[in-house]
Amino acid sequence: MLPRIILVSALLAAGPASAQWFHVTTPGIPRTPDGKPNLTAPTPRGPDGKPLLNGIWQMNGKYLQNIAADMKPEDVPYQPWAEQLFQARQNGALGKTDPAARCIPGMPKLDALPYPFKIIETPGMVMMLFEGFTTFRQIFTDGRELPKDPNPTWFGYSVGKWEGDDWVVNTIGIKESTWLDNAGRPHSDALHLIERFQRRDFGHMDILLTIDDPKAYTKPWTVKEDLRLIPDTELLEYVCVENEKDYGHLVGK
Amino acid sequence: MVAAAMAAVNSQAQWVQYPTAGIPRTKDGKPNLSAPAPRTQDGKPDLTGIWDVLHNRPCPPEGCADMWIPQEFLDIGWSLKGGLPYQPWAAAIVKQRMAENRFTDPNAHCLPTGIVRMYTTPLYRKIIQTPGLVVILNEREVTYRQIFTDGRPLPVDPQPSWTGYSTGKWEGDTLVVQTSGFRDGLWLDANGSPLTESARIRERIRRVNFGTLEVEITVDDSKAYTSPWTVKLTQLLKADTDLLDYYCVENEKDGPHLVAK
Repeated sequence: MLPRIILVSALLAAGPASAQWFHVTTPGIPRTPDGKPNLTAPTPRGPDGKPLLNGIWQMNGKYLQNIAADMKPEDVPYQPWAEQLFQARQNGALGKTDPAARCIPGMPKLDALPYPFKIIETPGMVMMLFEGFTTFRQIFTDGRELPKDPNPTWFGYSVGKWEGDDWVVNTIGIKESTWLDNAGRPHSDALHLIERFQRRDFGHMDILLTIDDPKAYTKPWTVKEDLRLIPDTELLEYVCVENEKDYGHLVGK
Repeated sequence: MVAAAMAAVNSQAQWVQYPTAGIPRTKDGKPNLSAPAPRTQDGKPDLTGIWDVLHNRPCPPEGCADMWIPQEFLDIGWSLKGGLPYQPWAAAIVKQRMAENRFTDPNAHCLPTGIVRMYTTPLYRKIIQTPGLVVILNEREVTYRQIFTDGRPLPVDPQPSWTGYSTGKWEGDTLVVQTSGFRDGLWLDANGSPLTESARIRERIRRVNFGTLEVEITVDDSKAYTSPWTVKLTQLLKADTDLLDYYCVENEKDGPHLVAK
């Protein structure tokens, strides 16, 4: 068993209630005879036959707390220093060093936030608009290469391409101070994330997330995160720094 | 200016150098910014692009600051004869905020700028026009704004927010955006011109040519102003680059030190 994790991050404390009070009929959703969205209808597809990813999605919240929630703890292939740092971050002991506590979630935590996000596919670029932190990712699909030696950023640099029915996103250049999850799993500047978006049906999608970081882990490892479509609503505004009181109470260097 | 926004700036250099697709170019390969505005398949002007402020404020002799603010950053009514038509309390609070060295400015505390100041912030924003939705991605704080163009009405009593709720429709070649649902306490400029929750803001956005956007902003807020007022802002296209991430809160040390004069 993992040690019990004390959740003292601003990320969790500052969240609005998950009730969505925008009721907007999402066009194009198949519905049952009583008008309810039919979320087990087939995956919608574009003119090119590829699955459409557009929609408002919500991640299973457990992966934010523990990205390895579905793994045996001993199956996470830590390098020794990474395991030591992970252990040192238990029980909130270094909570202050998590950038999310300063209202910067970074990748890959961003995808795992329990608040909805919206995927918008446009020619050459896919946007992910996140309710959490009112922030966004751009994933370029215009055929460009990943930069060779990018200036590290909080979300890194992402390019996406189709492999069959999987939309595969490669990301590098993520600042090494971000955490993989609230449990405190670290990564290095060599982190390469591979996300495989797999829309199973109209209302369900998986992200197969591979962590390829030879400096922090002895081999690449993959987790499967599941999402559900949130129909007939809109994103709300979320301002982490507004009336933020937690950071001053967090401990750590 | 003691705003945290000013202190925490990255280098202005945009390292992301990637040719923007679809830009008309002169023979030497440079973007032809005076070419006609591009259009989407439905014939409407396409507002898509990365936009910067018009740098209309002279630089000091020692050179321009990295964060080269436009006149309207300080005073959104700079171009208006006689200035903004403040209600008496609004005039008093602007005077007070300036006397206090603007230390309560939400911008200085890394809070959202709201939709008017976003246009006067000397960081880039990227407009992306899609069917039914226009999105504005902001470099500052890596935030976004949605403008719904799918015909939906404004909500009757929305939850007040910094950014409000925006719908847009085309009138000829101009995208007309209506926004309401603001929270109290927004500043429209660094002088502290207030906006109240009863405000409605109309933007008339027109892409004059490939490289120029005109944004005519009308603020209708009878609690703070004796009459609606209109200002026109110019935005200039930045070609062959992309947004960086800019976090005011990253290593932010100014907030606790801000004091009144």
